[in-house]
Amino acid sequence: MPDPAPRPSADEQWEQLVHRWRPPAAAQPRPYFYQRVRARLDDASAARPVWPAWLRRPAYAALLGLLGVALSGDCAALPSAAADAGPQPEASGRPLPAAPGR
Amino acid sequence: MVCPLPLSAVSELRAEAAPPTADAELLRQLQQGSEAAFRTLVERYQHRVYRTVLALLRSPEEAEDVAQEVFVEVYQTVGRFRGEAALSTWLYRLATSRALKHRRRAQAKKRFAYFTRLLGFGNHVLHDPADHLHPQAQLEGEQQLQLLLAHIARLPDKQQVAFTLRHEQELSYEEIAAVLQTTVPAVESLLFRARQTLRTHLQPSFRHA
Repeated sequence: MPDPAPRPSADEQWEQLVHRWRPPAAAQPRPYFYQRVRARLDDASAARPVWPAWLRRPAYAALLGLLGVALSGDCAALPSAAADAGPQPEASGRPLPAAPGR
Repeated sequence: MVCPLPLSAVSELRAEAAPPTADAELLRQLQQGSEAAFRTLVERYQHRVYRTVLALLRSPEEAEDVAQEVFVEVYQTVGRFRGEAALSTWLYRLATSRALKHRRRAQAKKRFAYFTRLLGFGNHVLHDPADHLHPQAQLEGEQQLQLLLAHIARLPDKQQVAFTLRHEQELSYEEIAAVLQTTVPAVESLLFRARQTLRTHLQPSFRHA
């Protein structure tokens, strides 16, 4: 009785399995792939909004608005509490003058 | 459906690789906005990008969709590409990251659909995608292949990418390291762990073969 064909080793079986895992040799994109990429690119550029995405978010837009107001110089026209209080003597580093009559 | 890839075909694919100088010139023209250069790029790399994505996603339709996205991204961002890596490395990086992102999104959608079904939202009947397996799929070899696919999909992302680039695209360890932005020893480690995990899970099948 002839001996049965030798069984492949585990390593050989592994290699065969990995070989079968690969996509078939004929696997390739459908014809006119470039044309479809081009069409997609045209769609993407047509759909691109004028404003950048971050500017279209309300929170960023509001922040930008506040920043604009702060930098516009309007704040300088308003009298601040510090200006009403007059000069601060402590700030000059000199001692306060003594009160007269004491 | 899945048949072995002849070594000659793999050699042809590798032979398609353009010399670095040709790629450098192509990149220069691309950055100047040349349409002809973009067409050359697509035609030169579409097979490699498509097959890499197909190996990760296993769906020809999804692979084509992702491959198109890769080239659209290349066109839109090539102006910012500084050429720190080879053009092919950049393309492999985009292709693998987009494929994995696509799969994560698909899995999230599937989980969401599963939970909405559990909670009773939506009246439509959800079902798993049709299984177009040939009757031969009942055979043990096909079962092993399905098992391998399932376990590859469960590997950590970097291991999957390293395994795919090594066994599908036959990239060298150095090339894989460049794509993954890591070192050659790290790639060796990723591949060792990937093979070890897969073989451990498939070993019982091998024993019964």
